[in-house]
Amino acid sequence: MPNLYERLGGENAVNAAVELFYRKVLADGRIAQFFDGVDIDQQIAKQKSFLTMAFGGPNNYTGADMRNAHKRLVAKGLNDSHVDAVIENLNYTLRDLGVPEKEVKEVAAIANSVRDDVLNR
Amino acid sequence: MLQFEDRSVELRLGETVLEALERAGIDAPSSCRSGNCQTCLHRVVEGVPPPESQVGLTKGQKALGFFLPCVCLPTSPLRITRPDDVGARRDAVIRAIDPLAPDVIRLRVDADDFAYRPGQFLELVADGDLRRHYSLASHPEDDPFLEMHIRLHENGRMSRRLGEFKPGDRLHVAGPSGTCFYEGVHQDQRLLLIGAGTGLAPLYGVLRDALKRGHLGPIRLYHGARSRDGLYLDEELKALSRTRAHVDYRPCLLDPDAPAGGDVAATALHGEQDVKDSAIFLCGGENLVKRLKRDFFMRGVSMKNIRSDAFTPSG
Repeated sequence: MPNLYERLGGENAVNAAVELFYRKVLADGRIAQFFDGVDIDQQIAKQKSFLTMAFGGPNNYTGADMRNAHKRLVAKGLNDSHVDAVIENLNYTLRDLGVPEKEVKEVAAIANSVRDDVLNR
Repeated sequence: MLQFEDRSVELRLGETVLEALERAGIDAPSSCRSGNCQTCLHRVVEGVPPPESQVGLTKGQKALGFFLPCVCLPTSPLRITRPDDVGARRDAVIRAIDPLAPDVIRLRVDADDFAYRPGQFLELVADGDLRRHYSLASHPEDDPFLEMHIRLHENGRMSRRLGEFKPGDRLHVAGPSGTCFYEGVHQDQRLLLIGAGTGLAPLYGVLRDALKRGHLGPIRLYHGARSRDGLYLDEELKALSRTRAHVDYRPCLLDPDAPAGGDVAATALHGEQDVKDSAIFLCGGENLVKRLKRDFFMRGVSMKNIRSDAFTPSG
């Protein structure tokens, strides 16, 4: 059985999802404030790296980068409800792209596994 | 086989460029180490990077030799530099300084062998530590000089220095830098150029380059200014749009009483509802560029189709 990343369509799937996903995040009033003043070009590259990891693709995830990248946001009030909102937007993105429910759940589970790093716990 | 700036770096079999740089003790930032986050971005100045090390970069970045060391297994000799390395300073001689508006001058300088793409910017060095970035409005195939449009600031050090310069005086230039140029645009694609103040300089360069390369799709150029004087290429651009049927010039004077803000960003956002397939170029102050970039992205424009250059003020 092919792995999750292969089932989703690999790099092409990440490319198809990244802008859709980031648009949903920026349009979501619950979390948009955390992206104020952020450069979209740089964010797209970062989101691509996050999606590749969440899709089960090649990555060298250590947690340290995730912690450092979100430290400033945790100080500004980033909490579990915001992580929930991001995962929700990820689910919507995958459904928009016609990804089956089984894979949507698998991606959500990987995304959820970095929750403690994101929230610096 | 691998050179970083002027030093030779040992590259072992099966090793990526990033690993080689790290082993040589060169400070090279990285994060995902799998070719996605672009943290490790560097530039090849001699040689050809393997295509897989340029996946995900823009056409403009590829054309300039940018690549990702973390996924680069070189197959031929490479000389690389940091992404913001502007290279050596070159001698330049002032050819002309002319006023374009009460607070804008046109500076033309001669410099040998300065290769660039219209819309890129250079670093102008007046005295040792007095350096500023200016965009290029000239075209390397048509103009024997480098042309910049410079806004003069009352208390700006460079502005005062430029006031003292006269033709024949010497200074230095370095670069070029920037990816805001005509590359990766389809000939039939709609081209949307939006700029404020001297943000017109790179857009003017891009416009000329597009025409020179036979761009066929409709081109619309918005230029915003606080006063009529600030529309400093008004006559020339009006004449151009009369002779080229597919070029549409939209001067935008700041109207503080307009409901939506009345600046060029508000005007363009109002006038450009259907932008999904346009190639967009944005140049001007940071707020203007950020706002337009975000709003057009939210309207469905892919970031691949948005090129921008934000001017940041300095003393």
